Amino acid sequence: MKSIKTDFVVIGSGPGGYAAAFYAADRGKKVIMVEKDDVLGGVCLNVGCIPSKAYLHAAKLMHEAQDSEFRGITFGKAKLDLNKMRAWKNSITGKLAGGVATLAKSRGVDVMYGRGYFEDSKTLRVETKQGQKFVTYDKAIIATGSRAAMPPAFDLGNKRIMTSTEALEVEEVPKNLLVVGGGYIGMELGTVYATLGSSIVLVEALDSILAGADPDLIRPVIKNAEKAFKEIRLKAKVLKMSTYKKQVKVVMEHDGKQKEELYDRVLVSVGRTPNSDDLGLENTKVRKDEKGFIRVNDRLQTDDPMIYAIGDIAGGVLLAHKASKEARIAVDAILGEAVTKKEIIVPAVVFTDPEVAWAGLTEAEAKQRNIKVDIAKFPWSASGRALTFDRTDGLTKLIVEPETERLLGVGMVGAHAGELIAEAVVAIEMGASVRDLAETIHAHPTLSETVMEAAHAFYGDATHIYAPKKRR
Amino acid sequence: MDVRLPRLGEGADSGTVATIFVKEGEAVRKDQAVLELESEKAVASIPSPVAGTISKIFVKDGDEIKVGTLIFAVAEGSAAESRDVQANGPAEEPTEPEAEEEKPAAEVEEPAPPRAPAEPEAPAKPTNGFPPAASPSLRKMAREIGLDLSRIRGTGNGGRILLSDVRAYIQRLQTLSAQPQQAAATATAASQKTAPVSIDFAKWGKIEKKKMTQLRKAISNKMVESWTTIPHITQFDNADVTDILALRKKYQKAYEKKKANLTLTPFIIQAVIETLKKHPMFNASIDEATEEIVYKNYYHIGIAVDTEQGLIVPVIRDVDKKSMLDLSIELHELAERTRQRKVALEEMQGGTFTISNQGGIGGAHFTPIINKPEVAILGIGRGSLQAVVKDKKIQQRMIVPLGLSYDHRLIDGANAARFMTDFVQTLQSFNEKIVKL
Repeated sequence: MKSIKTDFVVIGSGPGGYAAAFYAADRGKKVIMVEKDDVLGGVCLNVGCIPSKAYLHAAKLMHEAQDSEFRGITFGKAKLDLNKMRAWKNSITGKLAGGVATLAKSRGVDVMYGRGYFEDSKTLRVETKQGQKFVTYDKAIIATGSRAAMPPAFDLGNKRIMTSTEALEVEEVPKNLLVVGGGYIGMELGTVYATLGSSIVLVEALDSILAGADPDLIRPVIKNAEKAFKEIRLKAKVLKMSTYKKQVKVVMEHDGKQKEELYDRVLVSVGRTPNSDDLGLENTKVRKDEKGFIRVNDRLQTDDPMIYAIGDIAGGVLLAHKASKEARIAVDAILGEAVTKKEIIVPAVVFTDPEVAWAGLTEAEAKQRNIKVDIAKFPWSASGRALTFDRTDGLTKLIVEPETERLLGVGMVGAHAGELIAEAVVAIEMGASVRDLAETIHAHPTLSETVMEAAHAFYGDATHIYAPKKRR
Repeated sequence: MDVRLPRLGEGADSGTVATIFVKEGEAVRKDQAVLELESEKAVASIPSPVAGTISKIFVKDGDEIKVGTLIFAVAEGSAAESRDVQANGPAEEPTEPEAEEEKPAAEVEEPAPPRAPAEPEAPAKPTNGFPPAASPSLRKMAREIGLDLSRIRGTGNGGRILLSDVRAYIQRLQTLSAQPQQAAATATAASQKTAPVSIDFAKWGKIEKKKMTQLRKAISNKMVESWTTIPHITQFDNADVTDILALRKKYQKAYEKKKANLTLTPFIIQAVIETLKKHPMFNASIDEATEEIVYKNYYHIGIAVDTEQGLIVPVIRDVDKKSMLDLSIELHELAERTRQRKVALEEMQGGTFTISNQGGIGGAHFTPIINKPEVAILGIGRGSLQAVVKDKKIQQRMIVPLGLSYDHRLIDGANAARFMTDFVQTLQSFNEKIVKL
């Protein structure tokens, strides 16, 4: 069997995979990108970041339109055409996936559709529709990502029990929707369905939603969700699910009591599972951790020197932009450059209502690691821009090293926090000090001023709040 | 990855391969010693900069190699590495900047080689494992050229390291590394003038020839340099150590219980420190490049140790901050390691004053050669019982001969006389509190 020889083979075409393939091609390498699905782009483009943001935009439009009476605007009741909405969503994901294909072609990246399977450390077998193909390579990059976890106990083969993938198809707007898991996916999709008209009960096993984020940053999110959802149950556990006519019967434990309820649909968002099975990894030296994530070093090399792994499959935070950054690090590492993933700042954005975003050190982490920090906050109730669109439920927070006044972290909650965090990431990466932020003009009236004003607040002289400090 | 001989320390740019620990094809951990190099006055081990498999060794035992010589190649990554690899996520432990480049085997205690002219930049403090405050592009550049940014003090807001800081740092390093080369060039020029001629000793009788060891060559070069560049003067005196010997006798048992051997040397070191504090000039150096006198606020004392192969001078750091007990233990341990030639080059650098005690061997006054860039050295001869007039009576006292050589460029005769008088005084009225446990 003759094999196809290439410099790089990249398995997976999500934001990790295609970024790696394109970058390697841009650096003059011959690259084959392998995708098991029929479309490029992976979870993020097709059933993750992008479609969920489209729906969230639609939900926001509906919400604001219906909520504008006090602004002197009244519309009629919103009418939903789910098919049209889905088609609109598909046109967006279609454009992006098509874009990836075009970009691959113009770079000369060879796309191979089919499941990839390692025969050994140097050979990948690809099951294409045209039959088996064997690829021998100098280096392989695994970017197969992750999928929504579905605990076997809930996996009844009932389409009313959905993961995010199915939920993003929005086949119908269920009257009663149970969301299992109060992480970012449950909160984002819960918000979409609530706005479309579902009555939402959200259950979370831990004592807070969005666990891990600083409590002051998620307070406005909780407040909003409490309004939008019928109920949020913390420290609650789903024990059993079963099909009951056209509904799902759910038994759960909450407040020390067992409850049995019927829901039209259930969204299970309890985490993600790495796609590391069925790759033939046992034929290589690649090793996985107990959760199935591939073990890598700081240069993203696996235990097999020929094979690198990036993105979700390599563990850590499961975010698209982390995968894209790791793509570049891995390619650079293979090309012998002095790179490491050790120092990178990975911003986190949660597209709840309002959005939560943070970068660098969080207050919770500082506490946990016993790092002495100073905190400076600026509440959005003092932001003119936030007031103009009635979203003063926000907060900008700086986490500062006391001695050097170096910016170690930034946390935000509020509308467009996901866009605003970019400034923070640059500042932290640059090793900027609070003084640097304080001295930089931020345009008025914009939400970005809250960053500057938080920096001023650090010195006790923010213009729009009065909170003098003793320091200096 | 090809590994070349790194710079091992000030003035050490060549050495002889002593032992090779690994074979081709063998797996190594990061920082695992690959070979041992006899260089100048120490045996230094050369670690592997990465984990992996040794793919090729380019040198063999006995090879004389220079800085930059290709010594071995290591194929990065293997099972050996995986053991220290964390599988996921943001590192929880405090991370340190990646050490990409070859590093000297031992940790250096001070920020820069001792001959650094008035070190203007203190290393930045590590901040809870965060990388040094610098832009991503600058950090990348630092990784590429193997520069440890945590050693550079930033001048930006909040101590941020700027490109100009890196530029200044590199320029300074270059100036520093150029100096020994210049010295070497001068030396070569000098030796060319007196082009050594081999003498045929065999014509007068039977002879045996032996190659000079690296160490002997190093001592030879060092002595010539010190002797020819420093105008030496030696000040003589005697000290009555009868009282000290009594103190020693009194506390010896207690020290032994703590596994320490109380000798005369720690007493002398303590008295030297006290005298140096009164006469900081003897703890100084001359920066010949900038014509400045460098006063040091630390007291690192060099101790001349007689080994089978020759003289080696390891340095005890921050002696002023150490108790007599700690000093005794460290002294013993360091001398022992020195005799086994297990001291790293770094441990022989950064001294501020040297003591050479020949008391254990014999002899009276002698004129020690200054250990450049220090400016003074104390030589101690063998003590002997002498009849001394004390308190108007003839008494039997233990008298130790002393010789203090000093750099007359910096120190005048009167200074030396004052130093010696103070030193003898300190020694003779030794403060018992210091010995007490």
